[in-house]
Amino acid sequence: MSDVQAETPTVADFVRTFRRIQAEIHKLIIGHEQAVEELLSALFAGGHVLIEGVPGTGKTTLVKTLGLALNLSFNRIQFTVDLMPADITGTRVILSGDDGRREFTFAPGPVFCHILLGDEINRATPKTQSALLEAMAELQVTVSGTTYRLKPPYFVMATLNPIEMEGTYPLPEAQLDRFLFKVRLNYPDEGELTRIISSTTGPEEAGIEAVFHATEAPERIEALKRLVREVMAAPAMETYAARLVRATQPQNSRFVTDEARAVHDEMVNRYVMFGSSPRGAQALILGAKVRALLDGRANIAREDIEHVAVAALAHRIMLNYAALSDGIDAAHIVERVIKSVRAGKP
Amino acid sequence: MSFSSQDRRADEKLGQILGRVGSVRTRLNRLALQHAIFYTLAIAIAGGAAIFAGAYLLSPLAFLVGASALAIIGCAGIARAVGAAWRMRVSTVRAAAIADDRAELKGRLSTIVALANHQTRGSLWAYLVEDTLGYQDRFAAARIERRRVSRAIYPLAGAIVLAALAIPISKIKHPPQIAPGSGQDDLTVDLDDLHLRPADPGDESGMQVTADAATMHRLEDKLARESAANGGAGGNSLNQLVNRARDMAGHLQSKLTGQQTASKQRLNLRLADAGGDQAQNEIHRAPETQKNRHSDVAGQFKQDQPKSNREIDLPREDDSRQPNSEPSPGGDGESGAEANSGTDNPGNHDNSATDRRIQQSGENGSNGGAAHGTGADPDSLFGAPAPSKLGTEGFEIAIEARPVDHGAKGAGHAYVAPKVRAPLSLNQEPDEPVARAAVPAEDRTTIKRVFER
Repeated sequence: MSDVQAETPTVADFVRTFRRIQAEIHKLIIGHEQAVEELLSALFAGGHVLIEGVPGTGKTTLVKTLGLALNLSFNRIQFTVDLMPADITGTRVILSGDDGRREFTFAPGPVFCHILLGDEINRATPKTQSALLEAMAELQVTVSGTTYRLKPPYFVMATLNPIEMEGTYPLPEAQLDRFLFKVRLNYPDEGELTRIISSTTGPEEAGIEAVFHATEAPERIEALKRLVREVMAAPAMETYAARLVRATQPQNSRFVTDEARAVHDEMVNRYVMFGSSPRGAQALILGAKVRALLDGRANIAREDIEHVAVAALAHRIMLNYAALSDGIDAAHIVERVIKSVRAGKP
Repeated sequence: MSFSSQDRRADEKLGQILGRVGSVRTRLNRLALQHAIFYTLAIAIAGGAAIFAGAYLLSPLAFLVGASALAIIGCAGIARAVGAAWRMRVSTVRAAAIADDRAELKGRLSTIVALANHQTRGSLWAYLVEDTLGYQDRFAAARIERRRVSRAIYPLAGAIVLAALAIPISKIKHPPQIAPGSGQDDLTVDLDDLHLRPADPGDESGMQVTADAATMHRLEDKLARESAANGGAGGNSLNQLVNRARDMAGHLQSKLTGQQTASKQRLNLRLADAGGDQAQNEIHRAPETQKNRHSDVAGQFKQDQPKSNREIDLPREDDSRQPNSEPSPGGDGESGAEANSGTDNPGNHDNSATDRRIQQSGENGSNGGAAHGTGADPDSLFGAPAPSKLGTEGFEIAIEARPVDHGAKGAGHAYVAPKVRAPLSLNQEPDEPVARAAVPAEDRTTIKRVFER
């Protein structure tokens, strides 16, 4: 079942494993190559992913397929307006023991797994949404004063439906910031759509082969995640990531300090209410490290950072009403910021 | 054991990489140095050629302005070139970044150089070094920077070509001038056509002005009016500055073009005056004024009065400090002026530039020595003469003559050079105390008592 070596992985091991998982996913998911790569990058970088896409673009299928390919425990929560936090984290229930005594026992919620799919997370109330915060950030859940550890790897994928916004609750900024990447699933093109039709309407279903054994999968994935952290970043690259993040912050923000050294783009000043947080810079470097490993390098380059910049920064930028009225989205702002910083301004 | 040998091998590979980065840095810095040197030379050569050409082609003031502007622009250009070269110089980290970009190594060299001295390099360090060394052909210095010589050599070559072309072009477009006074006769101009300005102290160039007494007095009056018309001291000082600048530029031009000796030759300028009779009458009406004026401008003009002329030959500059110089034969001791008057001392009659004479009228000549004041000083009656005060206070009249076509009025001589000045004529000398005869010892007390009274 698994031909991936179990010991300390090398760069070649990482590349091979990554490509195998990609290939398994693409047995079911037609197209969305960049989305799949970003999804796996976030997994190996140790982050979580927010997937945005219109209905029917394969969000849930993608997450399910990933769980099958990794051979990790997988849960799904369909967020609705009446979903309560305890429905996510778990709750204490009274159970009768063998001796007839009744006692409170913790019944773990769906967050206790390796891969969690929060489907249409913006349909739940902010209170329920925030129940995921602790689990996502600290890999632990506290119920009735008792803290329960989550087993690594822990990977949350939440989906957002950008339409049917009526009766939805936009994610709090603090929760948005906890997603390493935001992946956008667009409509497939004609060729992809044709292939989707032929592969999903026939008598045969594509079988997903797990890349890891169920018993060794968590360890192997954690080892690969550690390898990602070993990738070296020159100080110049860290500075570049920091400049990118600072350039997303508008000049007139009262939270911006040392603005003389920051690169300011007029578009940012005009359309951005709040820029990226320092988590954005972490996401840039971690995503770039995965990208460097995929390229067979042990060091990150500027191209790696720029490649993941939109996925890492766009959902961390809060736009103002002027941007909404002018049809400017955050991805466009990030691309402008990259150009400004690359222009070499201090 | 094997671990240490692995480490040693890794260090050797790291040394190879750093050595190549160092050679890249050396080459880039050498180009930066060449950039500074070549541009500096190019600017200096081009500027020098332009100034040289300007010395031939431009008037003194235009030359001064142009040369000054060129000098300022050249200095700014050199400063800019040096600044650019300073910015072009690279550190090892920067050289690695440049090599990364040009060899498309995606930050491998930059990372190695940046982290080479770190204590904790991580488990992928050896992989990074090995991986980077696999691309060593890509980041050889010759491939990162092919040029050994900076592109600044082209401006330098252009400047040299420009300089080589400037010299013959200047000489072709501006043939050597006919030097004033070189083989030409006297130049006669009308006094009304003269534009007068005071000459600068120490100005050696000029001309010999010859005119009758009335014309010379009118010339004085005109000079006085010009001075008054120029306003107060500010206007005069400004004019002096302009004149001095012009003279300086002229000197520089002369030196650059090699026409110094020619321009120093004097021009015999003969002044014509339509209202000469009037001026003559003025002289007779105000002899005292004329006397004073003569004492001020003595040595500046040659007044052409053949009937009563007396020439006073003063010693040369190097002889003027010799109080015991012997009087010329024929002197009667009455006056130093008379002692030298009428003698044809060959040394005083040659046409050298430094030889000057004062030619004064007979009436004024007897007062010339007394006007110095030195003869009336009781303390120095019998001692060495006091140094001349007028020697430092004198002035010259620079006459800028301009060609005017008045038919036969100008005596038919073509005007040659626009820069004409009228310092002392060849027959004039600076106003210096004349050598005095020794006073007999028995008469000294009497003479001293008379002067003390």
